[in-house]
Amino acid sequence: MSVLVLMEEGDPSQQALTLARAFGDPLHAVRMEAASPFAPDAVAAILQRAADDLAATAVFAAGTDRGNDVMARLAARMDLPFAANCVEATLGDPVVVVRSRWGGSLLETANLHSPRALITVQPHAVRVSDGPPPIDVDVKPYLETLEPADRLVQVEEHVAPPGGGVSLAEAKVVVSGGRGVGSKEGFAIIEELAGLLGARVGCSRVVTSAGWRPHADQVGQTGTKISPDLYIACGISGATQHMAGCKGAKRILAINSDPEAPIMSLADYAVVGDLKEVVPAISAEIKKLR
Amino acid sequence: MSAVALAIALLVAGGLFARRALLLFRIVRAGAPSNRFGEIPDRARAEAVVVVGQSKLLQRLGPGLMHAVIFWGFLVLFPTIVIAMIGAVDPHATLPWLGAQGWYATLVDAFAVLVLAGVIAAFYIRKVQRPARFKGSHLGEADVILAWIAGIVISLLAWHSSQIALGLNDYPREWAPVSNLLAHTLSGSWVSILERVAVWTHVLLILGFLVYLPYSKHLHILVAAVNVFFTRTRARGRLEPVDFEKPEAEVRLGAATASDLTWKQILDTMSCTECGRCQDACPAYNTGKELSPKLLIMALRDQVRAQSDKPLVPNAVTDNVVWDCVTCGACIQECPVGIEHIDHIVDLRRNLVMLESRFPEEAGTMLRDVDRASNPWGKAPSDRTSWAEGLGVRVLQPGEAPPDVLLWVGCAPAFDERARQGAISTAKLLLAAGVDFAILGPRESCTGDPARRMGDEYTYQRLAKDNVATLNASKVTKIVTTCPHCFNTIGNEYPDFGGRYEVVHHTEFLAELVRDGKLQPVAGDRTITYHDSCYLARHNDVIGAPRELAAASGKTVEMARHGKRTFCCGAGGARMWMEERGKPINEERVREAASTGADTLAVGCPFCTVMLDDGVRNTGTKLQVIDLASLLSEAVERKRAQGSAT
Repeated sequence: MSVLVLMEEGDPSQQALTLARAFGDPLHAVRMEAASPFAPDAVAAILQRAADDLAATAVFAAGTDRGNDVMARLAARMDLPFAANCVEATLGDPVVVVRSRWGGSLLETANLHSPRALITVQPHAVRVSDGPPPIDVDVKPYLETLEPADRLVQVEEHVAPPGGGVSLAEAKVVVSGGRGVGSKEGFAIIEELAGLLGARVGCSRVVTSAGWRPHADQVGQTGTKISPDLYIACGISGATQHMAGCKGAKRILAINSDPEAPIMSLADYAVVGDLKEVVPAISAEIKKLR
Repeated sequence: MSAVALAIALLVAGGLFARRALLLFRIVRAGAPSNRFGEIPDRARAEAVVVVGQSKLLQRLGPGLMHAVIFWGFLVLFPTIVIAMIGAVDPHATLPWLGAQGWYATLVDAFAVLVLAGVIAAFYIRKVQRPARFKGSHLGEADVILAWIAGIVISLLAWHSSQIALGLNDYPREWAPVSNLLAHTLSGSWVSILERVAVWTHVLLILGFLVYLPYSKHLHILVAAVNVFFTRTRARGRLEPVDFEKPEAEVRLGAATASDLTWKQILDTMSCTECGRCQDACPAYNTGKELSPKLLIMALRDQVRAQSDKPLVPNAVTDNVVWDCVTCGACIQECPVGIEHIDHIVDLRRNLVMLESRFPEEAGTMLRDVDRASNPWGKAPSDRTSWAEGLGVRVLQPGEAPPDVLLWVGCAPAFDERARQGAISTAKLLLAAGVDFAILGPRESCTGDPARRMGDEYTYQRLAKDNVATLNASKVTKIVTTCPHCFNTIGNEYPDFGGRYEVVHHTEFLAELVRDGKLQPVAGDRTITYHDSCYLARHNDVIGAPRELAAASGKTVEMARHGKRTFCCGAGGARMWMEERGKPINEERVREAASTGADTLAVGCPFCTVMLDDGVRNTGTKLQVIDLASLLSEAVERKRAQGSAT
């Protein structure tokens, strides 16, 4: 029983491969770059033909934006059910999957009744196990049968965000300042700490409204959604609008002079104190250690 | 000879007018359908109040009176058109009966003077006062029209006075005091020439006006009364649902081009006189955003008149204009000719969102979270009851008997730290008053309001149908909600999806408990100014009850903009989930509240609570933003403390 995996750059595809291994052997891979520039319908068409030719019992992909995009189109083409963002998948009849829902706050167990299971795997939710690499499918014959309609949606242009470097969304550590920072100049101590930690500087909505920082730095519902390993929130009260942007953070350290501020109960570590004293003190300690 | 000349003039003017009018009528007829034909008694009432009574215009007393006398003058003077035409043909003849009535001559004289005074006042307003609301309007055109009206009235007075001087009047001359007075100054052989010149000038000016009307913004003389007749009657906060059941090709997904507008929307564009009352009241325009409701309607009118097939966005208005709107309805409240701007904005949004997936990027998170997590912040539905922990509030389980009252909590009170205070106080007060109530807990979901006001009708209808199914299965009959947006959506919009309940806002319900003596507040020494939520006061006429609660809790002062003419907090129309450009609306409102000298800014809406609290922090104002339920709770506590003290 062969299984087909849609592969792209990065860890999420390795995680998808890990779940796919339990579904059969041999494993075949179609690369996301098969259609270049990226065109989701073209990749879906290639996957469909490859799955038919290999008589694949399951098609896996990473639950990335592109993975889910292609798999949804594949499901529509084949008129089959599709389970997105799974963290577990057990072979059987039916296939039983556990899906991550409500932004990760709910795990749903679902039965997938389908002759060919279409599954994407929630990124960063599965421990990667080693195994033989998949066999690359020769996509050339499929490329020749693509129709113009398959290229209706395709990438025309890549526009780099201004600023460069690691984006706020991908930063491992983010140091943010809020109303408590007090002024544009007040961000000097935030920037110093961020520099020492190799972190990106973020801020709350109030700060961008006041014009202290550009909108690109804003963390929140209407700004950038971040998921760093550590989020240091300085002088931020923790309004719902802000917390919606940093709920992906693994650890939150809050520094606030108001012990009643909502963020103090939402943070993993809370320091009650004036950020203008606390932040430079942390920086000083880090410098001492180096 | 005169008869032939008049007949030719009538034919030419009538023909030119009819040709243009027919074209405009065809354009309106070609509009998309909109059902505005029911509730005739309500429509007649609107016609009497808004058109004949000039109620909307008189919201601004000075300009309102100016317009009212000119308008009433037109009504009174209308028969004089026929009288003048008869007089033009035969100076000795007049309209049977009316032409010989003394009282009518008095009326005509009085209104001729009043209309002239009105025209002078209008020129004074336009040339001396120059209010900002005219910015972007066609000012030259207005001058021409005003001069034209003056010409019509002056020629009428000249005709009447020369008639009297020549003894051609059919009514007793002393009944027309002004014309009579003028007649005394006229003598000599040229008076008979003046009489002919005046009457013909009068008739030709009127016929010329008739031809000019349908080419000018003054078309409103003919169209406004019709447009007012077809405005919304009840449920002003309700949006027309998109019918997805229709065959795919017929589903109207908002408006992409002028040809997608409904006939009412087309009529709206033709009614606009560019008076700018909407622009003056618009919170977006007043804080430096791109949107002006007046310029929006004018731009749509240009597309309609050109019968253009270009996309309305960006050819008529930019994307920013479409997204600046808070759907507060201030423009509709001000508009004297019944234009319903929100319908236009929402149709443009529907098209951008559902067909082009084009909207401010940052709002995408909200749309996705409403769709996936049934709340705009993507919080876990299982957390919906955490605000009520320890209060002893009953969570209605499937199959249980329905309570007397269902407390519909809403997402903001359920998930936002600041917004929840109002819900907590409401629950405590209901418990204290012994009301049998319950909440749906995790079975409640977003009503869909933010998605709908964004133009995402798909998501809205899915949520609406789910909620209606839950409520109907629970056999709920009466709903109390602390959120005016939920209140509007469930009360006005869910009936379209089979959900019919008695929906009351918590301020109304609490005010009733106070009136019945079930809650006994004692006013404290706060000075309270109450901020009317748009979806409560303007869209749903809930104005008195919140004020009863404020008065029961302390001393009250009013802001200049209150009641139906309130000023938005900036969160409506899904703006809560978009970034604001220009001056923040919430800060503008907070400054107004602070200027009353109040120490407490009372609210009845969880979104207003968050927005105004942010505004207070950002402006450094000394005001406490607090929900009326919390104020009442405080006042009830005061009574209890007094009771235990004595």
